[in-house]
Amino acid sequence: MKIIQVILIVAIIFIMISYLRRFRSAAIDKIFVSGLFLLGIVFILFPDMTNKLARLLGIGRGADLIFYLAIMGFGYIVVILYAKIKKLEDLLTTLVRNQSLASLNNHKEKA
Amino acid sequence: MSVYLIIPAFNEAPVVHEVLESLLTLGYPIIVVDDGSSDHTAQIVAELPVTLIRHVINRGQGAALETGMEAARRMHADYVVHFDADGQHDGREIIRLLKPLLNGECDVVFGSRFLEKIHPGLPLTRMLVLRAGRWLNYALTGILLTDAHNGFRAMNRRALDLLHFTQPGMAHATEILAGVRSHSLRYKEVPVHIQYSAYSKKKGQPVWNAVNILFHLLFKKN
Repeated sequence: MKIIQVILIVAIIFIMISYLRRFRSAAIDKIFVSGLFLLGIVFILFPDMTNKLARLLGIGRGADLIFYLAIMGFGYIVVILYAKIKKLEDLLTTLVRNQSLASLNNHKEKA
Repeated sequence: MSVYLIIPAFNEAPVVHEVLESLLTLGYPIIVVDDGSSDHTAQIVAELPVTLIRHVINRGQGAALETGMEAARRMHADYVVHFDADGQHDGREIIRLLKPLLNGECDVVFGSRFLEKIHPGLPLTRMLVLRAGRWLNYALTGILLTDAHNGFRAMNRRALDLLHFTQPGMAHATEILAGVRSHSLRYKEVPVHIQYSAYSKKKGQPVWNAVNILFHLLFKKN
C-alpha cells in the first residue's frame, strides 16, 4: 500500500466519523453519505476501478470521472445550501417583524 | 376613513426629522419602520408624534414595508400611502394619489415621475435603468407602468389585505405588480415629482442592483 492511500483513507474515515457523530440527519442521508465514503475508500484501494468505469462511460481517465462527479456534487450542495439560507432569511424576517410589532401591541395596551 | 403613511427608514438620520415634520403638518397618522438603522434614525423619530416600529436588525426595504403594512392592518387603516424617508417625494402630492382611491376608481395608485415630459435632475444612468426595468417588469408581470421603480404609492384596504411583500430587498416594486396582476386589482398611475438631492442620489440604490432584483425574482419560489 502506498503512503498516499493510507493518508487518504485515514482522512476519509475521520470525516465520516465526524459526520455521523455530529449531524443528526435523516437515516437515509446517513446511509447515502456512508455509501459515498465507502466508495471513496474502495476507489483509493483499487485506483484501476475508476479507470475501467471511466472508459465504460467514454471518459479517458478515472481522475477525470471523479473530477466531473465532484463538480456536479458541489453544484448540488450549493443549490441545497442556497435554498436553506433563503428559508432561514425568510424565517429571520418573520421573527424580526413579529418582534417589532409586539411593541406596537404593548403600546396600545398601555394607551 | 383613516389614511396611514408608511415610511421605511434605514440610516436616514440627516433628513428624517425634516421629512417627518413637513408630513405631520398634513395631519395623516404616520408609521415609521426603522429597519435596523445603525445611526440615530430611531432616536430622532421617537421624539416625534408618529408610530415607530423598530426592526432589531436590517431586513431590507421590502421587509420594512411589509412590517409597516401589517401594522396598518392591525390599526384598521382604510388607506395606506408608501412614502420614502429620504426626502425625494413631495408630501403635498399625497392627495393626488389618494383621489382615485377615494373616488373608487381603483385599488392601487402608483406615483410616476415619467407621466410628465420634463424630469429635471434625473441622472442619465438611472433613467436608462428605469426604462429597462419598466420592460423587465412587463415581461415578469404583464403590467407596463411608465415608472418601474417609484416608492411613492397608495392603496385601499382591499389591496392592503391582498398584497404581501415577501421579497426582502428592492424587488418589492416588481412584486407589487405581480400581486396586482394575480388578484386582478385595479390600478392607476399618477404623476409625481421627485427631488433629486445629492443626499437622495447617494441613498438611492446603485444601478447594478437591478441585476440583483432580476435574479431574485427569476429564482423565487412561488
